[in-house]
Amino acid sequence: MVDIVIPPLGEVEEVRVVRWLHEVGDEVQAGEAVAEVECEKTTFVIEAPVGGRLFAILVPEGRVAAPGEVIGKIAERAGGR
Amino acid sequence: MREVFWIPLGRVGYREVLERQRRLHELRRLNKVPDLVLSLEHNPVITLGRSADPRHILADPLALEAAGVEVVTVERGGDVTYHGPGQLVLYPILNLRGWQRSIKWYIRALEEVMLKVAASYGIQAKRVPSRPGIWVGNEKLGAVGVYVRGWITMHGLALNVDLVPDGFRWIVPCGIHGAGTTSIATLVGREISMAEVSARVRAAFAEVFGVQVRVRDPTGLEVMAR
Repeated sequence: MVDIVIPPLGEVEEVRVVRWLHEVGDEVQAGEAVAEVECEKTTFVIEAPVGGRLFAILVPEGRVAAPGEVIGKIAERAGGR
Repeated sequence: MREVFWIPLGRVGYREVLERQRRLHELRRLNKVPDLVLSLEHNPVITLGRSADPRHILADPLALEAAGVEVVTVERGGDVTYHGPGQLVLYPILNLRGWQRSIKWYIRALEEVMLKVAASYGIQAKRVPSRPGIWVGNEKLGAVGVYVRGWITMHGLALNVDLVPDGFRWIVPCGIHGAGTTSIATLVGREISMAEVSARVRAAFAEVFGVQVRVRDPTGLEVMAR
C-alpha cells in the first residue's frame, strides 16, 4: 500500500481537497492526476505516486488537509512504480 | 541571466487562449518549450474557478448571452471573475523548480508585479491577508488565480487598467460580498494606455522574477515544440 501525500507547498499550512478525479477501486497510472487541492487561489494537482488501484480516500472533497498528510492510499500493482 | 519568452497575443477570445494555455502547459511539463508568459486582453467573459459558487453570477444568463459574454468553467483556483477589454492578463507558464517550490512565494511574486506597476502610477495598492490579489481600500485592483501541476504553472494574473464595459457589475468578484473592484484609470482619473501598462508589467515581471524577457512571436513556440 502506498500513501498519497500532500507535498510541501512552501509556507502553506492547510489546503482544501476540491476534487478527487478517481473513485475508490479505479485503476490509476503512476504520475496520473488523482486529486486537486486548493490554497491561495491556486489549484494544485496531486499525482499518483505509483500505478495501481485507488484503495482508499482518507480526506474527501471539501475537507482540509495539511502538507505531509496522507489523503489516500493506492494498492500498488506489481511493477507499478 | 535566465530568459523567459514573452508572447503578446493582443485581444483574444477566452476559449481559444485556454486551449493554447493547456497545450503549452503540457509541452512545458514535457520540457519541449521554455518558460514563457502569454500577455493579452480578453473579450468579455465570466469564468468560474474550482471553488466557484454559480450564485455569484448576478446577471441573467440571457442578458449575458445577448451582450456576447461567455461563461466558462476552468481549472484555476478561486471563485468567479470577469475578464474583458481594458484588463491586462498574464498567463505565465513556468517551471517553478527554477525559482521556488512554493505556492505562497509564487502568488506573492504575481502580486508584487502588480504592486510595482500600480506604484509606477502613484497608486499605493496593498495585499490583504487571506484575500490574494492587490487592493486599494476595499476595492480590488488586480486578481490572481493559478493552476499548478508538477510545479508547472498556468492561468495567472489580471490587472484592471481601464475597463469598458465594467463587467464586474455582472458578478460578485471572487465571491466576496461587499468588496468592489477598481482600475488604474479610475484611480488616476485619466485615460491609461494599455501599451504603456504592458511595457511596465513586462519590466516589473523581469525584475521580480530576476529574468530577462524576450518578446517572441506567438507562432514560433508550437513550431519549436514539434
